[in-house]
Amino acid sequence: MQLLQALVDGLLIGGVYGVVSIGLSLVFGVMNIVNFAHAAFLMLGMFVAWFAWAFLGLDPLLGAFLSFVLVFAFGCAVQQVLVRPILAAPQVAQIFLTVGLLIVLENAALMAFGADFRSVQTPYQTSAFRLGGIIVSKPYLYAFAMALLSGAAVWAFLERTAVGRAMRATAQDPMAATLMGIDTQRMHRLAFGVGVGLTAFGGAVILPYLTVSPTVGSHYVVLMFTAVVLGGLGSVAGAVVGGIAVGVIQSVSALVFPIQLQNLVLFVVFILVLALRPDGIVRRRGA
Amino acid sequence: MSALSLPKRCSALARPRALLLAALAAAAAIVPLFLDPQGYWVRVLTLTLIFAALGQAWNIVGGLANQISLGHAAYFGVGAYASTILLINFGLSPWIGLFVGMALAVVVALVLSVPTFRLKGHYFALATLAAGEALRVIANSWQGVTGGPVGLSVPFMPDSFWMMSYGAPRPFYWIALAALVLVTLVFWWIKSSALGYRLRAVKENEQAAEVVGVNTFRAKLWASLVSAAATAAIGVVYVQFTYFFDPDAVFGVATVSVRLALVAIVGGIGTVIGPVVGALVVVPLEELVNAALQGQVAGLSAFVYGAILIAVILVEPRGLVALFGRLRRGLGRRPGGAGEAGR
Amino acid sequence: MAQNTRFPVTRRSLLAGGAAALAAPLAAPFVSRLARAQDPVNVGVVVPLSGANAQFGINSRNGIQLVADEINKAGGIKSLGGAPINLVVADSTSTPATAASVAQRMISQNQVVSVLGAFASSLTIAISEVTERRQLPLLTMSFSDIITGRGFKNVFQVVNKASTIGAAQFDYTMAIAKRLGVDASKVAILYEDTAYGTSQSEGLRKAAKDAGLDIVMDEAYPHGITDVTPLINKLRGSGAQMVFPVSYLNDSLLIIRTMRQQGLTIPAIGGAAGYVIPDFHKGLGELAEGVLSIAPANWDLAPDYTDRFRERFGYFMVHEALEHAVCMGVLREALEKSASRDPQAVREALATGTHNEGWSSVMTGDGVRFDETGLNANAFPVMVQWRDGELRTVHPAKVAKIEPIWSVKAG
Repeated sequence: MQLLQALVDGLLIGGVYGVVSIGLSLVFGVMNIVNFAHAAFLMLGMFVAWFAWAFLGLDPLLGAFLSFVLVFAFGCAVQQVLVRPILAAPQVAQIFLTVGLLIVLENAALMAFGADFRSVQTPYQTSAFRLGGIIVSKPYLYAFAMALLSGAAVWAFLERTAVGRAMRATAQDPMAATLMGIDTQRMHRLAFGVGVGLTAFGGAVILPYLTVSPTVGSHYVVLMFTAVVLGGLGSVAGAVVGGIAVGVIQSVSALVFPIQLQNLVLFVVFILVLALRPDGIVRRRGA
Repeated sequence: MSALSLPKRCSALARPRALLLAALAAAAAIVPLFLDPQGYWVRVLTLTLIFAALGQAWNIVGGLANQISLGHAAYFGVGAYASTILLINFGLSPWIGLFVGMALAVVVALVLSVPTFRLKGHYFALATLAAGEALRVIANSWQGVTGGPVGLSVPFMPDSFWMMSYGAPRPFYWIALAALVLVTLVFWWIKSSALGYRLRAVKENEQAAEVVGVNTFRAKLWASLVSAAATAAIGVVYVQFTYFFDPDAVFGVATVSVRLALVAIVGGIGTVIGPVVGALVVVPLEELVNAALQGQVAGLSAFVYGAILIAVILVEPRGLVALFGRLRRGLGRRPGGAGEAGR
Repeated sequence: MAQNTRFPVTRRSLLAGGAAALAAPLAAPFVSRLARAQDPVNVGVVVPLSGANAQFGINSRNGIQLVADEINKAGGIKSLGGAPINLVVADSTSTPATAASVAQRMISQNQVVSVLGAFASSLTIAISEVTERRQLPLLTMSFSDIITGRGFKNVFQVVNKASTIGAAQFDYTMAIAKRLGVDASKVAILYEDTAYGTSQSEGLRKAAKDAGLDIVMDEAYPHGITDVTPLINKLRGSGAQMVFPVSYLNDSLLIIRTMRQQGLTIPAIGGAAGYVIPDFHKGLGELAEGVLSIAPANWDLAPDYTDRFRERFGYFMVHEALEHAVCMGVLREALEKSASRDPQAVREALATGTHNEGWSSVMTGDGVRFDETGLNANAFPVMVQWRDGELRTVHPAKVAKIEPIWSVKAG
């Protein structure tokens, strides 16, 4: 029973980890960049959803769409101005550009929004469904459903649309893609925008049970990287699987080990998986 | 610290640069004589030298072999904790603790090498990041030994070289300078040794290096052991200098791992002078921005600091040393003799 | 912060100011150290103005700013010829070594007579290493036991130590339960694994053991936890009749919400930090009603003072703002008494006697008196409770503003 409860909790929370990580994976797949500032876009998405709730009365589950749109547009601009110039630069330069971006975004948010911890109040946020002896938290379940929905939408976009196919082609072989007449720069911009927009969406749907402040992203950085690496950098489906794996490991390990060590367990699994399967649990397939 | 102590392998071409560096070090050694021995600038410069030395230690694997580690805090923290725990519980001199810390860091590096050395590029960076974080969690939870999240205070002692304890920052300036010179010499020696050539082969193309018979695993292992030991030793100097630390201060991603790699990267990785230039920019810059914007709206100083980092990377992704090279070539219109320093 | 004080910053003024200020630290050593009577008295304020603790740093700065402005409006330090207080405020960041550098800078270049700060214990300890060596008084409201536990001569802690606060969190609760006729013998302790959480939970644990109660759960969790469900699952299984969580805001909201989700209605008695700030009530609304917490001090103990804060900044005077204001008030008294700008003379004045004029009297315990370790011997913690959207003092009875209640709103 305890184990079943832990599995359910882990699955729900893990689905959300997965969706906020998809963008990280997508950006890596298409541009070969590890974006350390990714979690800052999660924070931006949460702020957008909070303001939508506070001033428009929108439930964060709906505000999430606004988060996606605004952060998507912002992400495209960031890609154009900051990321594009260093695409050809050494890997270390890319890492530190995104680290700098993280510092800038966090502190810009601090100056613009203040350091308050903001949270929303929704009718469902402190209730749960009871199935037999299992408690299923409503905000977790809704966030999970929204997360899967957006994950499926991205998958359909990549697999079924012309733009999505062009994006995957860019990921596989930029040179060939260019020769085929694909505007790879536009693809990069779109991929970055969709990637961070999706994370913002994920941030919005978890707002009903969390609080947002400028540094909220820092709690997610390591979780996102773990999810993405477990699933295989660059793989969208892998990110979801990796996210769920992270959630389940965290919640099941709490049955055996002190909760204080939940991240240690996670890191050990992480390093072992890398050692045994350096390409992640899910083999990379396209973007 | 004269040119004589340099290995014979240094080519005749390198000798003027060796002399130049020796002169720089000598000049650096007399700087604090002109500053308030207890003052702010000695403190900032000491931190600068410590981070220059750390960047140089990172440079041994990060620069020569292009193995981008984001987990060097693991070694730094192990050194810091080992020596301080020995000092507090057994009154052992930090100089001895320093060797214990180095030995432990070598063990950690050995253990980590097994799962991480097969990884390439970003995977290696992220795996090392996780390793550093894992050690932070351990230091936080293992309260009986490490003091846990409350942190450890280095006991207050009278000035003594043997106990590496001084009330004023000035002696630490010289200790940090000595550490920087030592690590730089080690870096230089490795760079111009057979190991250095093997590491460069790893950097250019690991598979090709394997094909021509380079044992890449062993080359990377040696470099990483030396780098780990040096990082741990500097960790000891750092905590003796700051007197107090907690797990975040020595195992933190942002406070240590990323910062020391940043120092090397801003300067220019793989070059002898890069980490020194990088540290001279990164550390005082943070202080100057903080001082300039004190009393301003919260977050502004950190914001400006981040923006300057972005600007540096955008202007010259290969670091400041490359930028200087470019400027000099542009100004003097002569193919720079030291242009090689940029890469 | 955003709604309180905005500093008009145009890009041009920023650039010009930045350039001038960049040059200033270089020139400062050559500035004469001889002060004239009306020259301002420089006081250093080192608090986190970026990173995870920024909100608390901003609150702290606001508290100090309020008192400094009041002093200056009232004619400055009279025994120094009416010299005004000039605050030198800087960001400590989240790194102890940087906080220490900032303090060092203020001492060397701004000739501050004293440093106030730095909210987080790790930052305060790092700063105290500098101030002790430079023989300059440091006034703080950080809780850690280490701060005054090292035999330092120049550090002054205006609040109780973490272990005392933790013990009171437990003892006061028991006293309230007894008074209201509530029977509770099984308790759970949850704490974040930070310096604050760990040291306060030690006091809590010891008090519970001394009282012979059954601690059915005693668990640390990682700071910045994103999902507390495993924690609350364990709590539900433990059969605890009350829970003592020691955490910052994010975790405290998660804990209370998840408890209510699971239908767990046992009372939670918070450990200050996340439980006693306006955002707690804003985030939980009705659910916050009736939640008890320990606090080192509370605004309603001296509303005639703390209302000035509410008027100026728009929210009630949270405890870190209050205690930092007390630091400034105590420093003012010491400056008056010593009639000197010499840090050691000010230190002597701080260490002697009771400080009970103006803002010094706002702290619990009839003024501030430092013992030989620098700890405020008069202070005692208070138990507070959220009632009708306000944080009210309910225990000890001698200072309580209203009667405590023992009820929890179910979600």
